[in-house]
Amino acid sequence: MTDTMDFAPEYDVPLEYMRRTREYYLALGYDNPYRWAHYLDAPFQPLKKPLKDSTLALISTAAPYQPDKGDQGPGAAYNAAAKFYTVFSGDTSVDHDTRISHIGYDRKHTTAADSNTWFPLPLMREFAKGGRFKLAPRFHGAPTNRSQRVTLETDAPEILARCRQDQVDAALLVPT
Amino acid sequence: MSLVARYLERNGIPTIVMGAAKDIVEYAGVPRFLFSDFPLGNSCGKPHEPDTQRFTLDLALKVLESAIGPRTTVQSPLRWNADGDWKNDYNNVARMSPEEVARRRADFDKVKQVALNQRQKAGVA
Repeated sequence: MTDTMDFAPEYDVPLEYMRRTREYYLALGYDNPYRWAHYLDAPFQPLKKPLKDSTLALISTAAPYQPDKGDQGPGAAYNAAAKFYTVFSGDTSVDHDTRISHIGYDRKHTTAADSNTWFPLPLMREFAKGGRFKLAPRFHGAPTNRSQRVTLETDAPEILARCRQDQVDAALLVPT
Repeated sequence: MSLVARYLERNGIPTIVMGAAKDIVEYAGVPRFLFSDFPLGNSCGKPHEPDTQRFTLDLALKVLESAIGPRTTVQSPLRWNADGDWKNDYNNVARMSPEEVARRRADFDKVKQVALNQRQKAGVA
């Protein structure tokens, strides 16, 4: 067995979102580009016990559906009114209607018709039932308010505190 | 979200991020990252394809269990479609007419105003 010379097209690489976004807003006439968070190091903690004995929490950027906040999809245009600004939590033993209209996802190729693609709670419940891990009693919603300072100084500590209350051993984070 | 992962990890809670914006997550630097090369909004698999969702969650858990150090990225082998041309569409001004660019600017000005009002109401502006 050997690789062939039939290479993939040059464009078919992970999309450069930062470059694309910068160019997009410049073309629209905004010349104050967003500065993405950037660190050289990253922390690391090994799991302290096998996953099957660990309590796992879901952390999501999806928003709860709010009927009074306009069109939230599927297929809604970007809806800043549906954003939320404080951490919220929900009971993982029941289903939740979450939406992503408040986020700049791919409006052309993502239908946003199946919340399992951004909010895997039902599947996590199934995995937990099968013994893969223990599901934390609550999931947590992380605000996407574009203030990195608020994320660092308010939201992240709040999510940590709630995880500790639930004796969480590990977290699965799903940004959209 | 990468900031939250880093914060939890630094404070004793191991994390795995499931995402689709590889450059943004890696630029921030997270402990563990399962990258799906899909349009934004599909970090957990393809819509109405439970098998791909199950595969993706399973892979994320394996990365959580097996990573040996920070900045571990694993790329899911799943493909969105055969030609990958969706990547040329996202916010790509080269594929937009001047009228489309103007319309988007007008839309964005409106959205920005809504977001500003929201932040002021929430006391985070």
